Amino acid sequence: MMKKWLALLLAGIMSLSGCSASKQSIDPQNASWDEIVEAAKGSTVTFYGWGGDENRNNWLNTTVAEQVKDKYDITLEVVGMDINDILAKLSGEKQANATKGSIDMIWINGENFYSAKENGLLYGPFTDKLPNMENYIDLDDPETLNDFCMPIDGYEAPYAKAQMVLFNDSAVTPETPANAAEFMEFCKKYEGKVTYPALPDFTGSAFVRNIIYDLCGWEQFQTMEADYDTVKTAIEPALDYLRQLNPYLWNQGKSFPESSTKVDAMFADGEVVMNMSYSPFSVATGIDQGIYTDTTRTFVFDNGTIGNTNYMAIAYDAPNKAGAMVVINEIISADIQLTQYAQLKELPVVATDKLSADEKAAFGAVDLGQGVLSQAELLAHRLPEMPASLVPIIEEIWLNEVVGK
Amino acid sequence: MKRSYTPYLLLLPFFVIMALILVSIWNVLLQSLGYIPAFGLTTLTLDYYKAVFQQEEFLSALEVSLRIALQSALLATMLGVLLCYALVKRGHSKGELLYLVRLPILMPHAVVAVFVISLFSQTGLFARIAYMLGFIIDFNQFPALLYTENYGAAIAAYLWKEIPFVAYFVLALMSSISSTLGEAAENLGASPWRSFFQITLPLSLPAALKAFLIIFIFAFGGYELPFLLGTTVPKALPVQAYMAYTSPELRDRPYAMAMNGVILFLSLAMALLYALLTRKLLKQTGGRE
Repeated sequence: MMKKWLALLLAGIMSLSGCSASKQSIDPQNASWDEIVEAAKGSTVTFYGWGGDENRNNWLNTTVAEQVKDKYDITLEVVGMDINDILAKLSGEKQANATKGSIDMIWINGENFYSAKENGLLYGPFTDKLPNMENYIDLDDPETLNDFCMPIDGYEAPYAKAQMVLFNDSAVTPETPANAAEFMEFCKKYEGKVTYPALPDFTGSAFVRNIIYDLCGWEQFQTMEADYDTVKTAIEPALDYLRQLNPYLWNQGKSFPESSTKVDAMFADGEVVMNMSYSPFSVATGIDQGIYTDTTRTFVFDNGTIGNTNYMAIAYDAPNKAGAMVVINEIISADIQLTQYAQLKELPVVATDKLSADEKAAFGAVDLGQGVLSQAELLAHRLPEMPASLVPIIEEIWLNEVVGK
Repeated sequence: MKRSYTPYLLLLPFFVIMALILVSIWNVLLQSLGYIPAFGLTTLTLDYYKAVFQQEEFLSALEVSLRIALQSALLATMLGVLLCYALVKRGHSKGELLYLVRLPILMPHAVVAVFVISLFSQTGLFARIAYMLGFIIDFNQFPALLYTENYGAAIAAYLWKEIPFVAYFVLALMSSISSTLGEAAENLGASPWRSFFQITLPLSLPAALKAFLIIFIFAFGGYELPFLLGTTVPKALPVQAYMAYTSPELRDRPYAMAMNGVILFLSLAMALLYALLTRKLLKQTGGRE
């Protein structure tokens, strides 16, 4: 008798909890897009990512947040955090076997995507659920399929395109070095006034890869094995070059500024005469804000500079996966991509041939501002990224073989 | 009966914090032994410690951190004791001047780093003044005081904060000794210096030693100052450990934790020394310090 009651009670509790669970959340994998949008209604989505760019924060908190609020009644909460810390936080949650975390969307790419996906920190595949992938994105573009040579498999959707650019002030330095050799001459002429951020800083790391491409070619790296000695042998000419460069750099190359933000400040201060950025139109923004002089101008190496796409992913334990999918879908729309292009001057990820005539005209009408290269000029000098697994190896080699040598 | 619970109840917040710290320490140790099931690492091994002690970067980072800790603790203790003596002698062991002494103690390390950068960098205030006065014609000619391999700027920043700390820490003991035994010695004909070196200083030494240990542990485990004011390589140990911790290769996590383990063991050893010292002092002074 007693047992029967107990069984009934247990069954009752189980069905109760089962009920409430199905009410709170749907399984986005098996739901239709309408059901996902419905489930996301009235919810809050957290978006974690690098918060060092005030303009981007501002754009996310106003333009994007307002649009998803109006259209889907979703509250977007933007949290500025370095990707390393985000992954550390996520892996901490994973270690604690958490099923419900605190992060929904993540701004990510490259080696961090590689590692997060390898270690099961991401949710997916989900991009096949997003209508705007089909509507606006070129699904056969290598940068839609692979991130730093790592197959994306539907675990992240494109956010913006970036490309490495160099810039200096024509009133201070008339030269624009067009390759590594000219860059060396430039550093000799302006001794002590050129530097790059210490690796593993994102920008510094990309700059060193660019030097490697210029001296060793880029093709061999696309299929290279991620092995310290193999990589070191392959990049030896570049290491040699960087060591020869050191004596002419800021602080004689004995130390490097710890972050790109620091180099930006040093450039604005005149302590260094050249700067670099992974945001191709950052000079226009800087001139606009009065940080850089009107005579500052962007240039790239003749052989090209590295470009990549950065992406949005969803955490494996995201409390609001449906909401995150809706927001990501919205961000890859022509609408939002246009505001990103116009307000932040970021290269859009939408495919031009999928745009309507009006949309095309709107993109064409965007005034990029002073001191920048055109989109066409940039894309003509665009080189693909290396496999993500090579990046940390190069960073380690740089620390061992270049600094202070 | 009820009353006897009160102290424990009041200590509850402390126990909660202690428990959290112990759990994190436990996690650090476990992960440093290679146990992170979430990344498929499940065998306990000392290999990570062995590997870390063969890494050149780790060894030089350990050396850097030990050097920063030793140099700043030694100098801060010596200069702090002197400052303390000056305060006692001038009758400032209480009063407004003490607020000034306490100011650097309250200042966060990151803020101190910003001070140092804006004053001493090659485009800092002093470089600009030198440029204005025509001593240098280019920012490059101003001596590079920051980001040097000897971590001088970080040590200087520690000194700015810790000299007042030592003075403040030793003040109570020294002023009571100086006003009783020190003055007695002087009344009996000892010169002020002799009274300082033979009476006041030796008797204040225990407090100074304790201050030394506190600063040593702190500077050894400190992250902000060496990160912001130090050079790219060699890094200080906490900076190196953090870099390893944030490496995108998550399976390298145990290496980072092994470095943290080393910081932990050394800090614990220092804390133990501190405890022993305190106990010994209690015996010596019969309970009154």
